[in-house]
Amino acid sequence: MKTIKTLIVAILLIAITPVSAQTADEIINNYFENTGGADNWNKLNGLKMEAEANAQGMVIPVDIFQTKDGKQLVKINLQGQEMTQFSFDGETMWTTNFMTMAPEKSDQETTDNMKKQMKDFPSPLLNYKDKGYTVELIGSETKEGTDTFKLMLTQDPIMVDGVETSNITYYYFDKENFVPIVTETQIQQGPMKGQMSVTTLSDYEEVNGLYFPFSMNMGGQAITIKNIILNPEIDMAMFAFPETPATTEEGK
Amino acid sequence: MKKSITLVFVAFLLSFNLFGQEEITLKGKELFGGLQARHIGPALMSGRIIDIENHPTNPRIIYIGAAGGGVWKSSNSGTTFSPIFDDYAQSIGVVKLDPKDPDNTIWVGTGEIWTRNSVSVGDGLYKSTDGGSNWKKVGFENSERISSIAINPNNTDEMYVGVLGALWSDSEDRGIYKSNDGGKTWNKILYIGPSTGAADVIMDPKNPSILYASMWEFRRTGWSFVSGGKTSALYKSTDSGKTWNKIHNGFPIGDLGRIAIAIAPSDSSILYSVLETGEKATNGLWKSTNAGESWEHLNNDFGLTVRPFYFSRITIDPKNPEVIVKGGLNGSISRDGGKTFKSLGQMHSDIHDIVFDINNSDVIYTGTDGGFYRSWDGGSTFEIAENLPLSQFYHISVDNETPYNVYGGLQDNGSWYGPSSSPGGVNARDWNSVGYGDGYRVLKHPTKNIIYSEMQGAQAVWRYDVENNRTRTIQPLKRKGDPDLRFNWNPPMAISAFVDDRFYMGSQFVHRSDDMGETWEVISPDLTTNDKSKQDQSQSGGLSIDNSGAEMHTTIFTIAESPLDKDVLWVGTDDGNVQITQDGGKNWTNVTENLVGIPANTWVYHIEASVHGKGTAYAVFEGHTTGDMKPYTLKTTDFGKTWTNIISDDVHGIVRNIQEDYENENLLFLGTEFGLYITIDGGKNWSKFENNMPAVAVHFIDLQKATNDLVMGTHGRGVIIIDDISPLRELNQEILAKDVHFFKTKPFTMTEESGFSGSFGSETQFVGQNKSKSARIIYYLKKRHTFGKMKMEVQDMNGNKITSLTPEKSKGINVVNWNFNTNTPKMAEGKTLSFGGFTSPRVPAGKYKIVMTKGKKTYEHIIEVKYDEKSPTTLAERKEQEELTQTLFNMVEDLAFMVYEINGTLDKAQEVIKDHPKGKKTAQKAYDALNELKKTLVVTTGDNYVATADPEIREKLGNLYSEVANDYGKVTSSRKDNFELISQELNDAKAKYKAIKNKEVKKFFSYLEKNEIELPKLKSKEEFLKKS
Repeated sequence: MKTIKTLIVAILLIAITPVSAQTADEIINNYFENTGGADNWNKLNGLKMEAEANAQGMVIPVDIFQTKDGKQLVKINLQGQEMTQFSFDGETMWTTNFMTMAPEKSDQETTDNMKKQMKDFPSPLLNYKDKGYTVELIGSETKEGTDTFKLMLTQDPIMVDGVETSNITYYYFDKENFVPIVTETQIQQGPMKGQMSVTTLSDYEEVNGLYFPFSMNMGGQAITIKNIILNPEIDMAMFAFPETPATTEEGK
Repeated sequence: MKKSITLVFVAFLLSFNLFGQEEITLKGKELFGGLQARHIGPALMSGRIIDIENHPTNPRIIYIGAAGGGVWKSSNSGTTFSPIFDDYAQSIGVVKLDPKDPDNTIWVGTGEIWTRNSVSVGDGLYKSTDGGSNWKKVGFENSERISSIAINPNNTDEMYVGVLGALWSDSEDRGIYKSNDGGKTWNKILYIGPSTGAADVIMDPKNPSILYASMWEFRRTGWSFVSGGKTSALYKSTDSGKTWNKIHNGFPIGDLGRIAIAIAPSDSSILYSVLETGEKATNGLWKSTNAGESWEHLNNDFGLTVRPFYFSRITIDPKNPEVIVKGGLNGSISRDGGKTFKSLGQMHSDIHDIVFDINNSDVIYTGTDGGFYRSWDGGSTFEIAENLPLSQFYHISVDNETPYNVYGGLQDNGSWYGPSSSPGGVNARDWNSVGYGDGYRVLKHPTKNIIYSEMQGAQAVWRYDVENNRTRTIQPLKRKGDPDLRFNWNPPMAISAFVDDRFYMGSQFVHRSDDMGETWEVISPDLTTNDKSKQDQSQSGGLSIDNSGAEMHTTIFTIAESPLDKDVLWVGTDDGNVQITQDGGKNWTNVTENLVGIPANTWVYHIEASVHGKGTAYAVFEGHTTGDMKPYTLKTTDFGKTWTNIISDDVHGIVRNIQEDYENENLLFLGTEFGLYITIDGGKNWSKFENNMPAVAVHFIDLQKATNDLVMGTHGRGVIIIDDISPLRELNQEILAKDVHFFKTKPFTMTEESGFSGSFGSETQFVGQNKSKSARIIYYLKKRHTFGKMKMEVQDMNGNKITSLTPEKSKGINVVNWNFNTNTPKMAEGKTLSFGGFTSPRVPAGKYKIVMTKGKKTYEHIIEVKYDEKSPTTLAERKEQEELTQTLFNMVEDLAFMVYEINGTLDKAQEVIKDHPKGKKTAQKAYDALNELKKTLVVTTGDNYVATADPEIREKLGNLYSEVANDYGKVTSSRKDNFELISQELNDAKAKYKAIKNKEVKKFFSYLEKNEIELPKLKSKEEFLKKS
């Protein structure tokens, strides 16, 4: 019996091996095909994600807006107050100061780095070659207990405290279904500098033919997506930095 | 035809399945899923650093290679470091950056090159092409130690590797290797013999075809060390390694030991070399000013000649060839070209490597036995990098406190104890020193506040009375008629589970004291082989005598008292004996002959006496001091008469320690040179544990009984803990076959401790992770959850939802923490935030359901939550606190709804004022009345910081709510009084609101109805308060 079993296993392995040999491009193509098709991803013009973050029993509603031309905005609601936690209109990136609840512009280096990501919607992997990025299949790794392909995405370098620094993200694609279940990027600033910021992705669901992860854990903070609206109508004015009118003589 | 074959196969497969289920053997991350180890350091004394490498153009970037702690990278000039090599051998020889691509291409040669007795081993050369995120081994599997890498800066495909090689055996892997294709293929270009390795190979920075190589004849055994011989020599090649010539013009004739060599970066004609000759007149520093054609002897100061095997690094200021620094006991610096030296500024002793900043030679970095140091003033003063937890434990133990403490001794860094958890994390200041010198075993007295510790060779054994801060030395001393006592460098100690004041020590004899070391009795004959040929250490060291005691041999190394019988004692010796007594030392049986598969005289590193049977024990053997790197572990159940091997092919590297589980005899933990292995089937299969667990040498493991925490003393990464391994006890085939399985957990205590944790000055310090105080919900998933919804919530036993949790979704074991919270109250909307509203009440003690929904299936598990038994609060007081919390919670939400209604009406009124001139008056009246009221309910001006407005009812109520909800004790009368006041204010406000509703708002609404204007659209209270 044991011999027969070994034989069968051996034959099965031979049959399977050529299939599992993958290139980075095949993995990425597979991913886009399995999640709605590259054409449909390319047609996407914008997204609104209605999400929730749960911090120790406090449920914080979070709205995330992204547009094809690279505008982004994250809005949270705390005790009934809406706050733009972060916004980028393609030119200016700004946040809300938690102490004064007033908008403040981000530093130029951070803004410039954000500008480099404008072509990343809906995923930096989509048409990555046209974007000037490179992707390399590093190998296999067990992540979340699961066998994955490890892909390295190299994007345009960014500036960190005045020094040009490479911008690398690792994607771990589940070998069974070709969706990324983990991504990793190196933390570039602060006391955690040099360590990996890990995001896990799960609860993939279909929205009008495209698959999105509805559950994400970013560096320990879980975000659950309640609803995704494709190509939403967005008032573009909300991305812009709200200039506070100066109190001038005329203004008085 | 093809079809029928397929059919046959399918039939075969089906028939096979009928014979029974396939056994599930999950290994490593597939099994352990989300079960993570945590590191508690310490880092305050750090650990031995072998090599420092700086970036050729970016002065912020520095790499270090540690003796047992891997490779770390700093991007802030050595202020803080991150580990980048955790999955591979942690003993490092050299780190080298590609000169053309220093941001991405990094080479790491493994295996420490400062060959003290306790060094670990490497397993080859590694390369990263992405700045250290990913590594590939590129060969030299059997090199054991790689000393040096030289790369042609003009053509980085051309590179050289110096293999120092095996420390304890012959090896033909030694020598200098060259690659012309960036490391794909290698040729050995200089080989002297199986005992002579490459201590260094360096390249002329101005002419890459010129190389210098220092070859060293050396050997260690368990009982001796020899440095030096006829074949040690300094070589030069001027043709890229094709031919090599000795450059000894001026050097003495005769045996040489380890040779240090350096070339001045600013002047290639200037070389410095430190020779080990054994003769005072020729020992020490030599200089050549003609690129090695001739040499002149300059200096034989102690600082330059001390322990060449341990210190052999010369560093020359990149800008000034007259400034040179030599590693040593204190490190030496010369500013006159090597004629005279002074010591470097104060820092931890034993300086192994020195590096100058690329731009500013005032900035000097050093690697020592106690970490990484920075000098900003040319080496006069030094400060330590505080976040390198490289501590090298020989041994650890734990006590029964809550939280328990971890005790242990370190290579060259004394003995310590510290808490397994501490407010704000385990900080440097949490660790307490309990011994000098090299520290080894540290044991807590079972009942008294007394700690035993020791230094090398039992030169001192301390009994430290913690409470009274009194120390006595109590080591057993030689008595009249005794032979000399032979204590190992790392001498065994043991305490008894049966006799509180009993204390054992081992020399070649077992010494027993029943009064904490005041009086000693020898209770055994010499239990070693007493092989005299292994007992003369006076000549150890070779050309430089090095009789530190480190090579003391034929000694007892491990003593284990049976946890079931005080008279059963097991002893293991460094020369291969396993001995047992069953009558408290009256009679001893040597059971060495019964061992299976263990080469003669293999070091018995640890014996674990089992709780599962009086005659049951595990013995760990390791033969690295004879060059035998195989794993050996045996089990006996009959007092050593018969033994069985419990090592499978899964285990890689020598074994140092084993820990059994106290409940499940098949659950075992193995400490090896390359990390931790776990078996759940008594050793048939071993699985490497890699979740936040580096491939570090695990020298000792303990299982803390009350918490089931697995505590590891690692030799290079400090103390590493896996919290609560009890789920592993349940794992078996039946569970592994289930889709979902919740593991049993003991009732969780809602710990009430709440101290302070000022973190002043700890910005750049390592802080150890704490154990979570939350309830740990632990479950097994057969498959990772990726598609569709998966949710988890806590419910009371009636199925009412308490709160949501975020489930983990890994294949294997998952851990979800719940900190006993419910949800925060809905807060009234104001201009600013009410911080009191960020508090969610704790649940009362009791049973709770954990309900997990995965796709269409629902899984339930019940956990129990307890109040803190140590708390002074009574149950009645708790109930009062819980009720008041709930009352305040409801008041907060009542107010929130009132403000919500008011805001809705205010908006409507504004709309009417703007758009309906006829209604303006009525609307304005309603607006004014409501707005006036609102100003007393919530803050309507200011910000969240210094422009904050005076608190209104929301803020006052929120603060009281959060104070009461967060407290563990009885409700104070002050709070009760305050509650009365705020209740009154809220009730008054409610009454006012009712009056306005009946008057101004009523009129306004009837205006709206008459004019067919829509009333404010408002949710019902229930809907408003609904939590998603």
